[in-house]
Amino acid sequence: MSCFEGQLASWVAPAREETVDTTRTIAALVAEYSTALYRVAFSVTRNAAEAEDAVQETFLRVLRHESRLGEIRDYRVWLVRIVWNIVLDKKRRAKTRPEGEDIADHARALPSADRAAVDTVISSQEHGRILELIDRLPAREREALLLSAVEELTTAEIAAALGTTESSIRSRIFRARKELALLLDKEGIPR
Amino acid sequence: MNSEKMNDAMGPGQAAIDAALRSISSATPSSGLEGRILTRLAAERTRMETTPPRRPLFARPLFSRVGVFPARALGLMTACLLGFVVVAGSVSHSRHIKSGQGSAQPPLVLAGQGIGAASAVHPAAPASAPVPAGQPGRSARPSSPGRARIAPHARKAPGVAVPSPPSSHRSDSQN
Repeated sequence: MSCFEGQLASWVAPAREETVDTTRTIAALVAEYSTALYRVAFSVTRNAAEAEDAVQETFLRVLRHESRLGEIRDYRVWLVRIVWNIVLDKKRRAKTRPEGEDIADHARALPSADRAAVDTVISSQEHGRILELIDRLPAREREALLLSAVEELTTAEIAAALGTTESSIRSRIFRARKELALLLDKEGIPR
Repeated sequence: MNSEKMNDAMGPGQAAIDAALRSISSATPSSGLEGRILTRLAAERTRMETTPPRRPLFARPLFSRVGVFPARALGLMTACLLGFVVVAGSVSHSRHIKSGQGSAQPPLVLAGQGIGAASAVHPAAPASAPVPAGQPGRSARPSSPGRARIAPHARKAPGVAVPSPPSSHRSDSQN
């Protein structure tokens, strides 16, 4: 944490007086939301480096529009919307599905302390197949389902980020799960 | 999300889906993410402070001194002048081409034939030789009702064969 404070001090020091407040605000946003934003980005990219790039790009955009910080009512929703747009834009440009599941990411994500390494790899492969099936879902259902996986986000926040209502989000998630269960049956993935 | 209720409602497959989604929700960034973000932000702020912000063309000192309206009027006049020059140049160029190529073109109408320029380039084939005078017509109307018969001395162009009607036909028509 001392390293973090040192970097924050070095960032704040050269800034002019009027930017100090926004600088501190942005630093606080980084400390509070960077992990949640990383998960949101990771749910789409499934790649650690790309997810981190997206989070960094999000805060760069915040810095470029720092004059608007005072107008924002809900920082979490605002940031989620920014990172969501960034990852979707990147995905659209790449025009490909996530390139290869990053096994290291899965290993990092799963609680592997109490599992054998082989089990971890097998389950991560199964998860990878299920995530591939999620990618086949219609965009609206897929987006709602992926954002619902991020525990930091409530249904109301997901609805605000996607610009719809809570009931719509609930029904999208319900439809997504139902359709996904059918796809699992069709693919014969062990459940 | 109330996942237990959903699991009950939609069957056992939901457990696998939940596990896969948990692999996303439990993903953690590599250590030092905040520090890396702050470093990049610091570099970006330095760049923003050292690089002057881009201003639109009309907001630059030259135009701000002259004023926006005169600058726009000047631009409009320049655009009109350029447009006039382009149109005038195009017209004079096409006239120049017309006058240079006028003699090489084929005559529009051939004298005495009444045909146009395209036909003059590709003239029609000459007419066939006239039929010798004094010969009867090509076909003769039958005296009795029936099929028209080709007269044996029909007027025809030289080299054109006329088949002679079969005798059975003739007898039929006569009957």
